[in-house]
Amino acid sequence: MNSSAPPPTKKNATAAAALRKRMGDNLLAIGRDRDEAAFADVYSYYAGRVKSFLMGKGMNEDTAEELTQEIMLVVWRRAESYDPNKAAASTWLFTIARNRRIDYLRGNSRIEVDLDDEMLDMQSTETDTQEKFVADEQSARQLETALASLPQEQRQVMHLSYYRGMSHGDIAQWLELPIGTVKSRIRLAIQAVRGSLKDEEMSAPDTSARDIAPDDRSTQPSQ
Amino acid sequence: MTVSHHLTDETILDYSAGSLIMSMETLIACHLTVCSHCRLRAELADGIGGGLLDDFESVPVSASPGDLIARAGSMADRDAPGSGHSLDSGQSGGLAESGEDDHRADTAGESATLISGVPRPLARLLPAPLEDLPWRRIAPGIRRHNLSNQPRRHGAFQLLRLEPGVVLSAHSHADRELTFLVKGSYVDEIGHFKEGDIADLDGHHDAHRPVVDSDVPCIALIATQSPVRFTGLVGKIMQPFVGI
Repeated sequence: MNSSAPPPTKKNATAAAALRKRMGDNLLAIGRDRDEAAFADVYSYYAGRVKSFLMGKGMNEDTAEELTQEIMLVVWRRAESYDPNKAAASTWLFTIARNRRIDYLRGNSRIEVDLDDEMLDMQSTETDTQEKFVADEQSARQLETALASLPQEQRQVMHLSYYRGMSHGDIAQWLELPIGTVKSRIRLAIQAVRGSLKDEEMSAPDTSARDIAPDDRSTQPSQ
Repeated sequence: MTVSHHLTDETILDYSAGSLIMSMETLIACHLTVCSHCRLRAELADGIGGGLLDDFESVPVSASPGDLIARAGSMADRDAPGSGHSLDSGQSGGLAESGEDDHRADTAGESATLISGVPRPLARLLPAPLEDLPWRRIAPGIRRHNLSNQPRRHGAFQLLRLEPGVVLSAHSHADRELTFLVKGSYVDEIGHFKEGDIADLDGHHDAHRPVVDSDVPCIALIATQSPVRFTGLVGKIMQPFVGI
């Protein structure tokens, strides 16, 4: 298996939107009615992908199978905590699988913000339209379209990052690229996604988001 | 709290992808607590992760959905009713752990304020308020509280307490260093860093020389992934002690 091989072909954005709707409805049906058919649909689509994701960081197949079952059990038992206004079904599943993988690999949970923290800042969540990602139909569709349109080299870096769990330093070593190049690709990919969400909200789309050259001069290997 | 120095895109991506060590996660979670701007960026990154999950190649699984539902049924018999809402409290990602953590409800008292003025991801690691920590003096005006018992080669994770006016030796970074300002402020070649700010230095090869410019001691949370190289002679002597 060659991890630097190009990721799978671009998916069709319309099919992605239909899938997202179906999986979101499935989670709501599981949470509301413990709908077994809805669970079977989620399971048949995601269990193999979650297992593949777990194995992506070198976990053996038996362990990955066991953890996949644990993760899918969480889906069955906790689907009522899924909030369709906050995240797509795939995002909800990704965060559960990611956190379980971290928990298993190092024996400690991922460290996250405590939303009850008295120091929690809420300012941007009210006002920051530039960064706000709302999981509504339009935003989700734009995110999918932006992801599907990423140039191959940016897509590869995102894939290695999320699928293989590689930090950008690991990716630079793996692809034998200067770390500044990997950082540029990451920034361009994120700006493309962020830009696609932003353009739609602003009367005058700010195209500069795609033109910003990341300042990584200081991170190029010294000559 | 007005935050002016933020996380870089690539650090947010690494956090979202789950590829960072725990010390770095802790530091990032502290910043995300006090910076809703970066918290939204992290949510977007999770959305990207979800979008990419659809692209992952599927591999065969041996259990059927019916097997799992049966297994869930046998587990439900042990569950105390009404405990299901404790699991996801305080976790931004929704569900953080497997479905077997219902006993967490017993530790709900932990959600009370831990240490005032300290974000909880850090406060959970401290045995006492900042001023009462068992600080160790490592140089004039510089005290350290170590948060890791790992060997140094795994990276440092520590709080530094710097008296007003202290100047740190010029140093550069071989790999990755994150600094979160808990109290006070300092200025260096990169900028002015205040409470809540993050200095996200990743392979920053230019030496910098932080100077504490606040009236109160500057307390900084620091995580590194590899030792840094000090450039001056004093720095080389100090490095084994400071460990940053």
